[in-house]
Amino acid sequence: MSKLLAIGFSAGGIPLTQTLLNALAPAYPLPIVVITHLPNYYDSGLIDLFNRVVALPVSMAFDKEPIHSGHVYFAPPDYHLLIERPGYFALSHDARVKAVRPSIDVFLKSAAEIYEKDLLAVILSGANSDGADGMATVKSLGGVTIVLDPLQTDFRTMPAAVLDAVDVDYVASLDDITALLQSVQES
Amino acid sequence: MPNHRIKDIEIELLLLALKERWGYDFTGYARASLKRRMESLIEHSGMDCLSRLLPSVLYDVEAAQTAIDAISVPTSDFFRDPPVWRYIRHTLAEQLNSFPLINIWQVGCGHGQETYSLAILLHEIGLHKKARIVTTDINNAFLNHSKIGCWPKRNLEAWTQNYQLSGGQGDFNAYFDLDDDFLYIKDEFKTTIEFVQHNLALDNAFLETQFIICRNVLIYFGENLQKRVFEVFQESLERGGFLLLGRAESRPEDLVTIQLEEYEQTLRFYRKAIRGHYV
Repeated sequence: MSKLLAIGFSAGGIPLTQTLLNALAPAYPLPIVVITHLPNYYDSGLIDLFNRVVALPVSMAFDKEPIHSGHVYFAPPDYHLLIERPGYFALSHDARVKAVRPSIDVFLKSAAEIYEKDLLAVILSGANSDGADGMATVKSLGGVTIVLDPLQTDFRTMPAAVLDAVDVDYVASLDDITALLQSVQES
Repeated sequence: MPNHRIKDIEIELLLLALKERWGYDFTGYARASLKRRMESLIEHSGMDCLSRLLPSVLYDVEAAQTAIDAISVPTSDFFRDPPVWRYIRHTLAEQLNSFPLINIWQVGCGHGQETYSLAILLHEIGLHKKARIVTTDINNAFLNHSKIGCWPKRNLEAWTQNYQLSGGQGDFNAYFDLDDDFLYIKDEFKTTIEFVQHNLALDNAFLETQFIICRNVLIYFGENLQKRVFEVFQESLERGGFLLLGRAESRPEDLVTIQLEEYEQTLRFYRKAIRGHYV
């Protein structure tokens, strides 16, 4: 049984993520961690935006914060988000990876090494290849890898890079990804 | 056993070697970020795993220093997070000025960008004569580097922009001497700063302070070490003194003995209780 759901995206992913999270509301049995590339300011407004349109509670992750099921955590801008040990976040301000911080690769690798097969990882859309290396680690440690079909988005570089690098478990439309993630709820 | 768990064992061996052989205690550091730093150390060393580095770390001071640098490597910028500096400039300055003298402890000197940002700011708001800056780092090599006060020029544009966003009205470049590749802080800013080696895992408070700046240091520490650090800060701070943390850091909620109250929540300023008794 999975213990954490990670969602990575960059360009074009905000509406997709909103749709996805709304479909998982009002209660979801896993913590949900969203890693995306935000501008470097405190009030990007994204947390407020998501709280307005998504029924699940949404907040920015804090250092050493305990991770709760049914809660959506965003990686804070300008920090890498990591998993310190099962159920706890950690942050770092180390160098950018593939020119971005937070890095989807960094989070997925860290989460995969803690949760191994109990990690569920989804890549949606984006204009760079962040996430491909992380998904490879998730796959190699037995986690479940899900990628949005690149034909379903204008920003296909990111999902396409994952497909190039990893033999993923599912390549699917947003509706099918939603159904997959909802099935966790029922199992 | 998967490879990454073997790496976890190697990290513990390396930490033991650095602590017992060289007196650098990183055992209280958060493992998630430490593991990434160790991976880049292996990459740069050309070895295929951390345990192959162990013999040289134990016997060769330079190899040990490379490992120490890799663990404590700082990343900072001049006037990083401009709103924080703007707040010090426009709001906190008045509070600080109400103390008869202002000892400022800036924790984690790194390569000195934050330390000299503070020196520049104090100069601009006219508190430089009243304030004393003490900066500390676990890594002596970083302290020596910071004393020189020299950085590659490639970030100058971003740093100038930070300075302006922080409310700086002067000419940022005028605080430096520039050549083709580097900028050098002017000597007048160096004389106001004391550089002290200090290990938050072992050493105690050494100075009564009115303001402690500790940004993006605690994120690299595990919970027990974080708690120790808050106790050190509490001891060091005068009543009514201020503590500034990094934007994604907060004081552990279960620390009932720590009388540090939120002062400015978003920017992470805390203040030691003016009244009250210790438990």
